[in-house]
Order: sequence, then C-alpha cells, then structure tokens
Amino acid sequence: MKAKQLIDENNRKRERLTKENEKYYGDMLVYIRLQLTLSEQQSEEVLMEMLDHLLEAQNEGKTAKDIFGPNPKQYADEIIENLPKEKKRQVLPFISGLALNVISYMLIIRSIVILIGSQFKEITTTVYPLTSIIVLSVILASISFGVWYIFKIIKDSLFLEKPNNKKDMIKAGIFGSVSMALIIVASKLMPEIGPSFSLSWWASLLCGCIIWIAGYGVKKIEA
Amino acid sequence: MSFRSQLLKGIMDGCVLAVIEKEAVYGYELSKKLQDIGLSDVSEGTIYPVLLRLQKNGLIRGEMKPSESGPNRKYYYLTDAGKEALETIALEWKQVFLPVHSLFQRRSNNESKATD
Repeated sequence: MKAKQLIDENNRKRERLTKENEKYYGDMLVYIRLQLTLSEQQSEEVLMEMLDHLLEAQNEGKTAKDIFGPNPKQYADEIIENLPKEKKRQVLPFISGLALNVISYMLIIRSIVILIGSQFKEITTTVYPLTSIIVLSVILASISFGVWYIFKIIKDSLFLEKPNNKKDMIKAGIFGSVSMALIIVASKLMPEIGPSFSLSWWASLLCGCIIWIAGYGVKKIEA
Repeated sequence: MSFRSQLLKGIMDGCVLAVIEKEAVYGYELSKKLQDIGLSDVSEGTIYPVLLRLQKNGLIRGEMKPSESGPNRKYYYLTDAGKEALETIALEWKQVFLPVHSLFQRRSNNESKATD
C-alpha cells in the first residue's frame, strides 16, 4: 500500500478514537510526520500499526497512555530514531521546483500588468536581471524562513496540556505581514543596477509558461 | 530505569525474534504473545521501536497483507540474517544465564542451610 493510501485510511480510522486518545496519538502523528528527512512510507506504516494497536486496546478499555507510556514525546523520539532516512524523498527537486514556480508566477503576473497597464499609461518593459535576482532571493529566503518558522510553531504546540492556538495564529500572522512588507520594500527600494534589456508582455508570458512547465516537470521527478 | 526493565530492554530483540521465528505476526499479535509468555509488564508500545530497528538492520521484514479478521496488517517475517542473529543471542543468553543462575542457586542453598 502506498503512503498516500495509508494517510487516507489513517484519517478515516482516527475518527474512531476517543477524544483523549486522539489528542495523544494525533500529537505523535504530527510530530513524526514533521520529520521530513525520514522515509514517508515507513513512517506511515508504523503510524498505521500504532493506530490499529490503539484501536484494539481502546476496545479493551485501555488508553494511549497505557500502551505508549506516560511521555508521548519521548516515545515518538524513540520511533523517529529507529525510522530509516528517506532515500527517494528528494529535497532538491522540491525546492528548485518551488523556486521555478515563483519565477514563473512573477513573469506571468508581470506580463498581465504590462498588458493591462499599458492601455492606460506608458509602462517601461525594461528589466534589470541583477535587480530581479536580488528581489527574487529575498522572496525565496522569506519563503524558506516561513516554512521553517511555521514548522517550529507547530512543533512547539505539540504535547502540551493546553495548546494556545490563538497565540500561534498571531505569531504566524505577524510573520506573514513582516515578510510581505519586506518583499514590497525590497522590490520598491531596490536600485536598478547591472545590465538591462527589454522584455515585452508576450515574451514575459511565454517565458513564464515555459518555466512553469519546467517547474512542474522537476516536481514530478520527486513522485 | 529499574533493573528489571533494563534487563528486558537488553533481551527484547531476542524475544521478538523468537516469537516471529515461530510464525509471522503483526504488531498487536506480537504484544499479546509476549504478554502470554509472562512478559506482562512490558508496555505494549515498546515493540514498535524494536520492530523498526530490527527491520532497519535487516533481521526481519514486514509485509502488508489482509489479516484473518479482514483489514490489512503488517506481518513480520524472520530473514536469514535474523535467524543467525537469533542463534547468536540464544547462545550468548545461555552463556550468561547458566552461570548466573547456578551462582544464585548456590546462594539460596546456603541461605536455606543457614536457617536450618
């Protein structure tokens, strides 16, 4: 059975857990799934075994605590320690696919802005590659930091007696606004430096589409 | 950690391998069998990290297939390497268990003599 099927089945079966067991097991599940360097297939298989076991034990009137011990984090760490590392989960194709996606969206949006904007006023089609690369790096850096930061927020919210969801949402919201502001400021204030050339709206659209397809292809390698 | 749980932790790999050698089992069955032979204070969940480690070391292999009761279960089988490892563990256990056992036996004999 593929990891995807196991995840679907896990979602269905988890509904049969009591509230208390669901909290205990659910935290372990998220914590183990957040370990992106581990084999997804093996992780999902052991999560399914643990869930099946817990459901059987639940029928006998036992709780997750009886089965996995009083400390869920420590137990999950033991599982993680013994799970094999992912060989096929290629982090590089995923990240480069994401970068290509961002570039393609920028080009496509640019072509639309030029196409519509030029109906009303003169719009320059000159691009400064060096400037664009710097702005793009700021965007990619804030995306990577954002992924890391949100993972950290989720990890910190696990295994608590009383998770504080409101505080986590505010933290994520503040991060979102700060990074958005940073990107806007960077693209506005960045001086136009280095060589330049003209890229019309249709050339921009064409490049955007080609890069999007390339990004799609790169991501497919991963599957 | 109590002395008892330390001992159990050390020999748990051997126990799990020995149960699997007899017949292929899935996780829940395995924990029931360990309890049936008297290892009742082993918390049931402890088998999963052990199963993962044994799999990673190639001593057992898991296979998803439908169980008697219907749903898919992951059944574990002993590999050739697992069989060898089990032989070694059983031999080493004997080498430790027998001398220690006779040492403690002598001690309790002496004790019963002293009380006579």
